[in-house]
Amino acid sequence: MLEPINVSMESLNIMTLAPMLIPIVGALLILVVDLAKPNIDKSLYVMLSILFLFMDFMSLVGSGSSFVQNGTVTGLFDVMLIDGIAIVSEFIIVIASMLFIPLALTSKRFHEFSYPEFFALFLFMISGFQFMVATDNLILIFVGLETASLALYTLIAMHNREKSFEAAVKYFTMGALSAGFFSFGAMIFYAITGSVEINQIATVLSANGYADIGYVMIGVAFILAAFAFKLSLVPFHTWAPDVYEGSSAAMAGYMSIVPKIAGFIVAMRFFEFLIHSGVFWVEAILYVFVIVTMTAANIWALVQNDVKRMLAYSSISHAGFAMAAVMIGTTQANSALLLYWVLFTFTNLGSFSMLWISRQKKLLPGQSSDHSYEKFAGMVRTSPMAATIMGLFMLSLAGVPPFALFWGKLYMISSAVTAGYTVLALVMALNSAIAGYYYLKLVVYMFMKEPVDSRYEKVFSSNLSLSLKTIIGIAAIGTIFAFVAVEPLLQAIGGFVYNSGY
Amino acid sequence: MLDHIITILIFFPVVAALLGFVVKPHGIRAYGIAVSVVEFVLSLVLWLLYDPSVSGMQFMETVPLVPSFGINYIVGVDGISLFIIILAAFFTMIGIASLPETKDEKNMIVTLLFLQMTMVGVFAALDAIVFYVFWELSLVPMLYIIGAWGGPLRIYASIKFFLYTFAGSLVMLVGMLFMAYFYYQVTGKWSFALLDWYRLVLPLNYQLWLFVAFFLGFAIKVPMFPFHTWLPYAHGQAPTIGSVILAAILLKMGTYAFIRFSLPLFPDASVYFMLPIAVLAIIMIVYTAMVAYAQEDIKQVVAYSSISHMGVIILGTFAMNVEGISGSVFLMLGHGVVSGALFLLVGVIYERRHTKLMSEFGGLADVMPRYALIFGIMLMASVGLPLTINFIGEFLSFLGFYHQSHILTLVAGSAIIVGAVYMLAAFKKAFFGNVTKEENKNLPDVTKTELVALVPLVVITVWLGVYPKPVLEPINNSVESVVELMHAKATTKEAKAKIADVKAMKLASAAVKEAE
Repeated sequence: MLEPINVSMESLNIMTLAPMLIPIVGALLILVVDLAKPNIDKSLYVMLSILFLFMDFMSLVGSGSSFVQNGTVTGLFDVMLIDGIAIVSEFIIVIASMLFIPLALTSKRFHEFSYPEFFALFLFMISGFQFMVATDNLILIFVGLETASLALYTLIAMHNREKSFEAAVKYFTMGALSAGFFSFGAMIFYAITGSVEINQIATVLSANGYADIGYVMIGVAFILAAFAFKLSLVPFHTWAPDVYEGSSAAMAGYMSIVPKIAGFIVAMRFFEFLIHSGVFWVEAILYVFVIVTMTAANIWALVQNDVKRMLAYSSISHAGFAMAAVMIGTTQANSALLLYWVLFTFTNLGSFSMLWISRQKKLLPGQSSDHSYEKFAGMVRTSPMAATIMGLFMLSLAGVPPFALFWGKLYMISSAVTAGYTVLALVMALNSAIAGYYYLKLVVYMFMKEPVDSRYEKVFSSNLSLSLKTIIGIAAIGTIFAFVAVEPLLQAIGGFVYNSGY
Repeated sequence: MLDHIITILIFFPVVAALLGFVVKPHGIRAYGIAVSVVEFVLSLVLWLLYDPSVSGMQFMETVPLVPSFGINYIVGVDGISLFIIILAAFFTMIGIASLPETKDEKNMIVTLLFLQMTMVGVFAALDAIVFYVFWELSLVPMLYIIGAWGGPLRIYASIKFFLYTFAGSLVMLVGMLFMAYFYYQVTGKWSFALLDWYRLVLPLNYQLWLFVAFFLGFAIKVPMFPFHTWLPYAHGQAPTIGSVILAAILLKMGTYAFIRFSLPLFPDASVYFMLPIAVLAIIMIVYTAMVAYAQEDIKQVVAYSSISHMGVIILGTFAMNVEGISGSVFLMLGHGVVSGALFLLVGVIYERRHTKLMSEFGGLADVMPRYALIFGIMLMASVGLPLTINFIGEFLSFLGFYHQSHILTLVAGSAIIVGAVYMLAAFKKAFFGNVTKEENKNLPDVTKTELVALVPLVVITVWLGVYPKPVLEPINNSVESVVELMHAKATTKEAKAKIADVKAMKLASAAVKEAE
């Protein structure tokens, strides 16, 4: 006869699930509202989403303070792992989402936002990302990843343009491939260690001294390929520029931030023990990935004629930059990654929002793409404020001090220096110089060239509304006054990362 | 209020610039002049309060910025930086006052005020990151000034200027992060404060690498041969005001940084690299002087002559003794005044004729006698005529380097003759002979607005050429402490021998006095 197993509620620690459940409840509520009374204006759903994200935020504050007091908490048969990096990354996810969702309230009508399903899917996606970062169980990571990705594919396709379908299908195909890679890699690790928990895998592998190094390497190769797709590392990046171009500017900005931070956290958990295991090849492969991603993406960005595609390549390059932190693997590097991403959130969301407000319904005759450089020529004459703010975001992305990303770059390069990666530090610095050129190109167009076509004047802020202004204002203030926030952020992030053992 | 005079000096222009957005365009010039006069008066107050007998930093202020990573807002001045700050305030003032009618005047004046903040900030910063912030930020307004108000190739010139300097300073940033890390290893505390770094004695091989990293950033800014190619473009395309500020102040950031960072932080490496750098400096002096002779555009003549004189400043800096370094600091001021004035003068004639080709002029001395007189004085100062400001700086720089190498100093000194040749040739072509062009016959002489800018520059040129003591003495005191620090920190035998031993000399002269 089977022994009865007693599971006490306390040991389950259901509260660890609260931050993930709140958006799910919110999504279900939105669907119910739609069932009860269809055709309500989008503003209702935007506000409902913000409310639930705010509750999510408050529950994260709760987990944060309990982490400070009691340290890492596990729950649900040790599947959930609420440690410092989980909490910090969830904060980034939720805050970025709260900044994103008001961008739906444009003055022009866009197809996708009229569906309440958009907002429901959006909230499901957030909970998927939250699951992904708050566990070290490869299966739950997979579930979270797929929940989020499937929702995201749909969100892209809802933009309802020819290019959007192309983008969604492309992203879906690549995503499916990477899901296959991920599960195959996880299977290999399960086969050689008998566990799907990362810390168990690490323990078993170090206990037998990496006896099956061949299998480990195959597993690493598959999992790395899966991450490389998600984080758009070269040469797995080919989907990114097309997908960014096909989706709305706001969505592209969101995609460059939130899915990637989730990916970085998982990569951090997974490669942490491998880097410190002293297996040379893991580090070598990552090193090559980092250098190639940073440099190649920068060079591609130089030759783009469309600002959005340029920003897409720039995001790839920034991802390579942040991936360097995963490779370095020290506490300082991991804190640098999180600091970098917080600052990147403000700047990048700001710059994509600036593209979003100039979104046209129809292209003018002779206009090659939505956001061609020519469109912004001489912008300072007609909308000096918008041009200045856009210029500010570009300078911040280029790493000109004292704007936000400079501090991220500073700390990141410093972590490379401290860990003894001198060449890497120099490559990072020189890449920032190369990147300076394409960010400057937009500044040059806006400030120094004569306008190409006077009809563009009406376009620059045609999509502007109060809520968009607010978001851009928050992003601009965050970018300018980052130097005030760096110290508290560094204290908080450093403490959370250090106390989680990374 | 006067406790925070440096902070006020740095941020007053930027606050004024932000408020300036509200001022209506027709009042912006008066606003700009008012702000820059207040700033200049403040800088004079700073000089008044400055105690010339103290050699260290004065008016220090510290505000923690990112304390856990050792970044603090630390500012202060000593004799080396004090006069460059005054010069920056002065040139912004006369630059705005003599600004010719331009399009988008408001944007120009606001940009100039932003630029002023970054200039004062660079020279007052005593924390490497704060220094770096102002250093990089100074590129943005200059980029805009060249790119928006420049000549036909302005966009190419402005981007070249930006990227060149940006790339160099990012390498320097990596060097700074290394310095901070070494400090962390030794003391267990992060710090970017310059005065903390001064206490750090590094092994020679670290010094060599770090010296190179910093050198790249500074040398591009100066600009030293072979990194000088961006400057003729920038000068050629920039509007007059852009060239004036660039030549008078922005280039000095590089030479100033050599004295502030490279020499005291890496004394052994400085001695190790002394000869290669001296050779580069001499190539710079001779080669650009020859290039200047071949120019047909009068602004390019001034631009290349300006690079040539920057070579003398570098030579004086790497003399490693009090005479040489004091001379190079004094020459920075002299070069600022003289080349700034020459660019202003070129601007005067460009406003009238819209050309800068010397072949278009000739016989201007007949038509514009006052203009010719001022141009003549400034030209003589540029050549280094005794009793003008440049003579003292050049003489001291050469004197200093003569202790290190006789032959190199002689070669460099001979370039002064080439300097006289191209300058006088240019003067002859433009001012003497008959008035050949019809357009030149009725050119108006310098106007009152232009005199407002030019006369003070002439006065300074002569005054400091005849009686340099009020400026030279504080410089000398501060330079002595730098050289003393270098000598104390030097570890290799060679460096100990080459760096002047100020303390021993002082003791010796005191002993001599006692014996008498």
